[in-house]
Amino acid sequence: MTAEQHARIRVRQRRRREFGRHLVLGLVAFILVAPFYYVLLASLKDSTEIFSYPPKLLPIPPYFGNYRDLLWNTGFLRWMFNTFFVATSVTVLKVFLDSMAGYALAKIEFTGRRLVFLLMIILLMVPIGALIVPLWSMVSGLGLINTYWALILPPLANPLGAILMRQFILGLPRDLENAARLDGLSEFAIYWRIVLPLIKPGLVVLAVIIFTDQFMSFTWPLIATTSDELQVLTVGIAAMRAHGGANYGLWSASAVMSLVPIGVFFFVLQRQFLARSLAGALKQ
Amino acid sequence: MTPTDTYSGPAIELIEVAKHYGKVTVLDRVDLTVAPGEFIALLGPSGCGKSTLLKLIAGLDELSHGEIHIAGRLANYLKPAERDVAMVFQNYALYPHMTVRENMGFPLKMSGIARDIVTAKVDEAASLLQLDAQLDRFPDELSGGQRQRVALGRAIVREPYVFLMDEPLSNLDALLRVEMRAELVRLHKRVGRTTIYVTHDQVEAMTMANRIVLMKGGVVQQVGTPAEIYATPANTFVATFVGSPPMNLFKGRIEQARFRGAFDTAVPARVMPGDVTLGIRPEHVEIVEAGEKEALAATIDLVERVGPDAYLRLTTQGRATVTARVDGASRAKEGERVALRLPPARLCFFDAAGNRMIVDKEG
Repeated sequence: MTAEQHARIRVRQRRRREFGRHLVLGLVAFILVAPFYYVLLASLKDSTEIFSYPPKLLPIPPYFGNYRDLLWNTGFLRWMFNTFFVATSVTVLKVFLDSMAGYALAKIEFTGRRLVFLLMIILLMVPIGALIVPLWSMVSGLGLINTYWALILPPLANPLGAILMRQFILGLPRDLENAARLDGLSEFAIYWRIVLPLIKPGLVVLAVIIFTDQFMSFTWPLIATTSDELQVLTVGIAAMRAHGGANYGLWSASAVMSLVPIGVFFFVLQRQFLARSLAGALKQ
Repeated sequence: MTPTDTYSGPAIELIEVAKHYGKVTVLDRVDLTVAPGEFIALLGPSGCGKSTLLKLIAGLDELSHGEIHIAGRLANYLKPAERDVAMVFQNYALYPHMTVRENMGFPLKMSGIARDIVTAKVDEAASLLQLDAQLDRFPDELSGGQRQRVALGRAIVREPYVFLMDEPLSNLDALLRVEMRAELVRLHKRVGRTTIYVTHDQVEAMTMANRIVLMKGGVVQQVGTPAEIYATPANTFVATFVGSPPMNLFKGRIEQARFRGAFDTAVPARVMPGDVTLGIRPEHVEIVEAGEKEALAATIDLVERVGPDAYLRLTTQGRATVTARVDGASRAKEGERVALRLPPARLCFFDAAGNRMIVDKEG
């Protein structure tokens, strides 16, 4: 057999392998995307169309009644505002506080530093269910039930972010801070001007985690607020389902609409998110 | 006018400086006086406390005991930025998110100096270090040598009273290191500032420094000019740490003006009798004709040729191993039997504790 024939066989084998790989990937992609598409489809059909057989795979003509109902006949816009307001506030405050705490835990020598860190790790192991009652009585004692503060303050105490930031900041060479100290920077200025810009990818990862976590948070907002005015998306949609009867079209529209902000958030931060993964991969 | 402008005493004075971490002593009562404009090398193996000493001078670590005076001021309680020192770090410690210009100008910007002055000083330092073309680049776009120069530039623009350098050349390849070594010496001559330079590389210390402070285990072993340290090492550690290959050392006894150990050879008459370690530099070992007075028979085990020189590893009849430096053109061959002589005037003597014994060589 000539070298050319060998090469041709190798190309054919590679193409076959690639085809197989693409087939598997396509299948997985279909399994992942299909439910979303089904929800999107259902949101664009009226209630009779949703159960028609055979099902229509394209919503032609699209029915926007579910969206109209959702936006004008439910408290959706209010829930969305509340969710956005709470998730953004928590994200901004928490990224700031966690990075400061992480800096202190990673770089500042103080008595009990190890103990504080250990307690934070232990706190991570306590399930949220065990904390709800004492948390409620604390927030209630402070007179914060049914306020935005009830939704914003408790998540700030979650130690995960500070632990994550500590690990990020530990990776920065100590000589950088020393150089900054010699350049006349205060401890806060070192954190603000040197450390924060260098852990930007870490901050983005943390922001995404916190924002999505807050966006999907259900139990605590359900308990901490009773006022309709303060309902967040998860609680509002659950209440709508509980009280409004089985309106699948409306439910689907609410699911689609609640995905939009988080999609936008990811899209905006995508570059940073990818940069992080690449930086990790290419680090010398 | 800074407080240092009118001062004419020692640039740096260390008085019984010590550093402990719990029960571990990293630095043990270091005393040192550095004259203005001097280039001092802190030399020693890893973990000898040289970098710790530098950090203490910079104010980046807390003293456990002692006093540090910089330009006559007690610096113990001064913040790093108040000590009028600039430091060049081993890994350069450039701010990765700032351009070369921003990196170099940052300390000036922080001290509130007007932007046009900062720009002028950065431009001046950049041209001195041939970094003009790199000013708008980020550190990760520079070569090792360029990064090193930026780190130097950042120190230079501050015009500090003292430069502190923590193994600044150790991350460079051998060729670049030699180039930068010369560049640093030139720079020191031009800028004329007191410099304390930490290194574990004896060649760097010997070629660059006015004086060397040799350290081991947190204790200063010897302070002296490179020539002093080389010719009259204070103890066996210094004798073997400085010089490549190191000084030959042989244990034995002095009896009736003769060294008796693995071999027997004449020593100056004034050497006190008793247990000693005898030392001689490889270049002082003489290869002589057999039968010459005080000649020792030996066999060549190994010949290492390093261009202009060759190092002979010899074994004497008494099984002592001796290294001798001979001309690179020497025709010495492994296995050859030769005779060697240890000239009495070139011998060093160390007592039982390893400390140098003062011997009048005329005797």
